[in-house]
Amino acid sequence: MNRKLCIRAALCGALAANLTAALAQGLDPATLLKPPTDTWPTYNGDYTGRRYSPLKQIDSSNIKSLTLAWAFQAESQAIKSTPLEVNGILYFTVPEQVWAIDARTGRQVWHYRYKKSDGDHIGHRGVAMWGNWLYFETPDAHLVCLEAKDGHVRWNIELADVQLGYFATMAPLVVGNHVIAGVSGDATDIPGFLESVDPETGKQQWRWYTEPKAGEPGSETWPANSDAITHGGGMTWMTGTYDPDLHLLYWGTGNPNPVLAGDARPGDNLYTCSIVALNPDTGKLVWAFQPSPHDTHDWDAVETPVLFDADFAGKPRKLLAQASRNGFFFVLDRSNGEHLLTAPFIETNWTSGIDSRGRPVANKEKEPHADGRIVYPGSDGATNWMSPSFDPGLGLFYVVARRVYSIFYYTATGKPEGWAGRDHNIYEESTVRAIDYRTGQVRWNHELGPNESVAGILTTAGNLLFTGDSQGNLLVLDPATGKTLWHVNAGGSMLSSPMTYELDGRQYVVEGVQGVLYCWALPE
Amino acid sequence: MFRSIVIFSFAFAAFAQQHVPAARGQKEFVQSCGFCHGDDATGSRGPDLVRSPLVNRDVGGDLIGPVIRSGRPDQGMPALPLPDNTIQDIVAFLHLRVLQAAKSSHVGGDYPLERLLTGNADAGRAYFNGAGKCASCHSPTGDLAGVASKYAPLYLEERILAPRPPGHVPVTVTTPSGEQIAGKLDHLDEFSVSMHDASGWYHSWPRSQVKVTVQDPLQAHRDLLTKYTDADIHNLFAYLETLK
Repeated sequence: MNRKLCIRAALCGALAANLTAALAQGLDPATLLKPPTDTWPTYNGDYTGRRYSPLKQIDSSNIKSLTLAWAFQAESQAIKSTPLEVNGILYFTVPEQVWAIDARTGRQVWHYRYKKSDGDHIGHRGVAMWGNWLYFETPDAHLVCLEAKDGHVRWNIELADVQLGYFATMAPLVVGNHVIAGVSGDATDIPGFLESVDPETGKQQWRWYTEPKAGEPGSETWPANSDAITHGGGMTWMTGTYDPDLHLLYWGTGNPNPVLAGDARPGDNLYTCSIVALNPDTGKLVWAFQPSPHDTHDWDAVETPVLFDADFAGKPRKLLAQASRNGFFFVLDRSNGEHLLTAPFIETNWTSGIDSRGRPVANKEKEPHADGRIVYPGSDGATNWMSPSFDPGLGLFYVVARRVYSIFYYTATGKPEGWAGRDHNIYEESTVRAIDYRTGQVRWNHELGPNESVAGILTTAGNLLFTGDSQGNLLVLDPATGKTLWHVNAGGSMLSSPMTYELDGRQYVVEGVQGVLYCWALPE
Repeated sequence: MFRSIVIFSFAFAAFAQQHVPAARGQKEFVQSCGFCHGDDATGSRGPDLVRSPLVNRDVGGDLIGPVIRSGRPDQGMPALPLPDNTIQDIVAFLHLRVLQAAKSSHVGGDYPLERLLTGNADAGRAYFNGAGKCASCHSPTGDLAGVASKYAPLYLEERILAPRPPGHVPVTVTTPSGEQIAGKLDHLDEFSVSMHDASGWYHSWPRSQVKVTVQDPLQAHRDLLTKYTDADIHNLFAYLETLK
């Protein structure tokens, strides 16, 4: 254990002792450092973003007897959040609303409703927890701290001004004594940022802007003598991951602005559409990799940067893998950002190759144009915010991959502002794919049918892969082969990512289907 | 549909109401402000006002008005002693410009033909009769006669790529006993198939127990999606646009 790690462990220990004295129901911060079993304490279950659970009570031999433990009717817009589960309580959200429900029975404990607010209500991913407190972002880009026991508000701070076009949907990430919160909004030309606040007070600890300041490294990737760099977008709207040993935070950033108008911002437009490694104590950039340099198709690189340690080309490595919205799968060494692999995970038509740094090279002819250009994937992406998963035993990375054919129009005549155009989908179909992280090859493919699936993926040590198709079916697949092991028509689409936990010796799997949470288990 | 028309009418009325002072405001803006801020307010020597936080936060001139009246001498902007109603018109114009930026993602039925018409109609005809194999199902004097008058230009371009699904997709299901039932497909997924038969009755089966043959008439269109060049699409559009 290095010195930094010792200090952190000591801090965690002190915090834990401090908290245990005061509570029995709060989150022990040490659980954030372990694979999820009786607790699912953060958006992705743990810091790695693998969404792989070591639980194996439900397995490939007994999956046929999987049954409904309970269902919870939120009577709300679609649930896109992943619940947290801490000490037998599930916490989940839709825009402006948080529920605490009994993880054993599905009975409501409390329900919190924020005020009717401005800002985009497109969806909500969930809450973060630190000790006794929950952290909830709102459509008007505020961060609200709630008492986990009863949903009472402790404080409410503004992260960004909704009047300027910001909104918020994401589940913050807690690292040590930092609550790290991102923001959304690309209808107007505003700068993206990631902010860390004090969990007790909400006081800002640091703010990292996606665009560097003029003169800083990266600023040369924006036009000089222009306001482009200060209006360049790059929202931070998905929960990142964290490596406690390297003490690095990994975050994906969104598309540059104006969204479809490349000529307004010649250059790579760092650090938009990038995977960045930040110091969680200072918010300082350590390294960056850009999956979509100079993006003109809304291909946010916010998809979970998944962390695992494994051999690559015969050498043990600390890896980071992302299946990006632009249709390419990337593997990096997460200790230094070294590029290791780039491979398409679905057919695309927008590149003329891969450059020496492993970045796809955009074909200028496929930029949006007044007469419309056919591009796949469309702006909805070859994948999107639905969670990928990584099974460390099999060494396979799983992603819901979509064939989205779209036609991109550019609308601006003068200086482009905002989106400056749009694409219209022509046709979509979806698949689940297992990617060999060593080669980028697709090991198996499971067709999900027409339409865009936005169901996430969970894998477990029970040799199971949980997801949904785009026709209303919940699916359990064999992660080694993609073969269907179990299914049910749940009466709607899964627009969220599944999670699992074990309580009183019983394993539960929770899946959100539109406004309903279904909880599955083996018969009692 | 009705609801969206009503909403659209209200929105249009609000827009038109706003448009009269905004049009006056535009003239005044070009005259008094355009030299520094650009005639369309997107900036020149002075800053882009469409992106200005102050303009975006303004309500009815409460923030913009004082800046126009007092100027920003420290940043080189002179005070402009304009009458209140003129300032209100400029405010209306600036809000309209912000709205236009926010709506720059609108691509709809009013999309101008001239923007789409970059192809060559003769090349489009050749593709229609040749490589595209369109003529094997369609005819310019038959089903496509007058097609350019039927659809707004944008929708014509998109319908070439993805025609609306027809009322039904023909399907034939062969049951374990060998019986063949033909009808209209309702639903097909990995686990079940359902259809209406010729007499209008509904049937469904587990996929594992039957053989399903779908004759999707749109499959040829989908197969073309990975074959078209952008030029093919624009040429084909230019050709179909001649079928008034």
